Amino acid sequence: MNVIEAENLAKTFRVRQKEKGMKGSLQAILRPRIKEVQAVDGISFSVEAGEMLAFIGPNGAGKSTTIKMLTGILYPDGGRANVLGIDPAKQRKRLAYEIGTVFGQKEQLWTHLTPYDNFRFFGAIYDSPDRETESRIRELADTFELGSFLNTPVRNLSLGQRIRCEIVASLIHRPKVLFLDEPTIGLDPVVKENIRALIKQMNRELGTTIFLTSHDVGDIEKLCRRIIIVNSGRIVLDDSMDHLKHHYLNRKIVEAKLGEETALPAAEGITLLKQKGSQVRFQVDTGRLPINEALHLIDAENLEDINISNIPLETIITDIYKAEGREEKAV
Amino acid sequence: MNRHLGIRKYRVIYRSVVMESLQYAASIAMGFISFAIIIFVFIQLWNYMYSSPGELIAGYNKAQMIWYVMITETIWFGTPSQVVTRQVAGDIRGGNIAYLMGKPYHYCLYCLAKYTGGWSIQLPMFALSALGLGIVFVGPLPDLSPLALLAAVPVVIAGITIDAVLRLCISMISFWIEDSNPFQWLYSKLLLVVGTLFPVEIFPAALQPLVKFTPVYTVCYGPAKLIVDFSMEKYLEILLAQALYLGAALALMFYLYGKGVRKLYVNGG
Repeated sequence: MNVIEAENLAKTFRVRQKEKGMKGSLQAILRPRIKEVQAVDGISFSVEAGEMLAFIGPNGAGKSTTIKMLTGILYPDGGRANVLGIDPAKQRKRLAYEIGTVFGQKEQLWTHLTPYDNFRFFGAIYDSPDRETESRIRELADTFELGSFLNTPVRNLSLGQRIRCEIVASLIHRPKVLFLDEPTIGLDPVVKENIRALIKQMNRELGTTIFLTSHDVGDIEKLCRRIIIVNSGRIVLDDSMDHLKHHYLNRKIVEAKLGEETALPAAEGITLLKQKGSQVRFQVDTGRLPINEALHLIDAENLEDINISNIPLETIITDIYKAEGREEKAV
Repeated sequence: MNRHLGIRKYRVIYRSVVMESLQYAASIAMGFISFAIIIFVFIQLWNYMYSSPGELIAGYNKAQMIWYVMITETIWFGTPSQVVTRQVAGDIRGGNIAYLMGKPYHYCLYCLAKYTGGWSIQLPMFALSALGLGIVFVGPLPDLSPLALLAAVPVVIAGITIDAVLRLCISMISFWIEDSNPFQWLYSKLLLVVGTLFPVEIFPAALQPLVKFTPVYTVCYGPAKLIVDFSMEKYLEILLAQALYLGAALALMFYLYGKGVRKLYVNGG
């Protein structure tokens, strides 16, 4: 069953333009120049109940604008959106009871209150009876390990503790869909891992659908089974994570340390990335040249050490962004 | 049913602000210094203006006039307006409103609940301070009946709420223009100069109907007049004016907000 449906969703912003200098400032008052920016350009996709979806793209690609349209914050200029059978533009308040949102760069907690008081606050905001809120706080405090700082004012918490509290505040009313906009931004690797594990656990145990945007490839790789990449307001890729890796991981990086400095023979499917003294780093396109044949190009007698690795997902995603950028320019 | 209009959540917002404000009681008390200086200046000014305590200026004796100014100044100092002015304008300009709108409450009522939470700590503190200053430097207000004081309470609250709603309406201009602060400045100065320093009766007779038509009448004059010189006729007149003003201001606020959010521009990223 689909819980999110977007059909030709579009949003255009009208941005005021100003020429440089005093003359430009005066002109902007007398004859304002407006530039139209197509932030989201007719995108269509759907998300199934319980799915964990990564919705990613470079800055300005239209990710947050899409989230804001799906949560009813922005009105679309075209197309339609449907979240849990509700039109976000028409019934924003009704939808608010069914969804949760965490914007990594925006605090929703009251910083002078304790997490406990904040959770009570959000329980009341979502019309949850006091007794139910209490039991929900106990349950989530346990899951997210908040016990030691539940009664410490939010302003005194570390960023990691605060983000955990932000997520809990979004879950107090048992939302069916959780929108996470860069939830791990600014966190250290250990805390990131912790947050990811908790999100995974929440999805597994509560069946909450997760709609995630992040620039952190670790978030995407470790949490999501499906990925949508947007660029310039359009979807450039909608695929499963496994499929993406299968398609794009046909390139291997080989790093070899040789006994004596030797030039790498040229061959189809081999791209030399770096050679410094006896150290060589090259890429093998296994679709064109099987890895065992590529390794035969190195003299085994001369080999001291070797490391073969997949292309990082980050590089794959960057390549997809760049490829799209090139196509845009070509058009 | 509009669940987001339920009173419970606004009570919780109010309570949360009260809890926050209590942590700032000491810094609120620091504001007493400038308040006391202003009150002292006005006491000296009116002492100079009145040649004898029994003299009447525009129908007010000296004690009534000084208490009138002290009451309006107490309301002015005791109701910090940033929540409905700078914060709202900032929310709109900076896009923070988008995140607040996503919650199941009405943004305008959320702001009003926050504002009420803020003044309900600060106003009593300033009222107590004004009471002390008044009794020491002017003496008790003659002919003050506790019943009149009690009757004036809803008028004071209504006046403060009308002021907040009007300021919210002005802040909503930020949906259309870059900066609503100049309009806030004009409105503040209208209240401060025309409303808090003198009663309406001190203006020339030709101007008085005009002043009565402005928010000054319902926000400053009404509450202060009823405390210093209560009459049932005036009470009903002011209550009626406040009801009409509040109804119109609320209608305008909801209208502007409804129109404004459709124009909302929020940066993506």
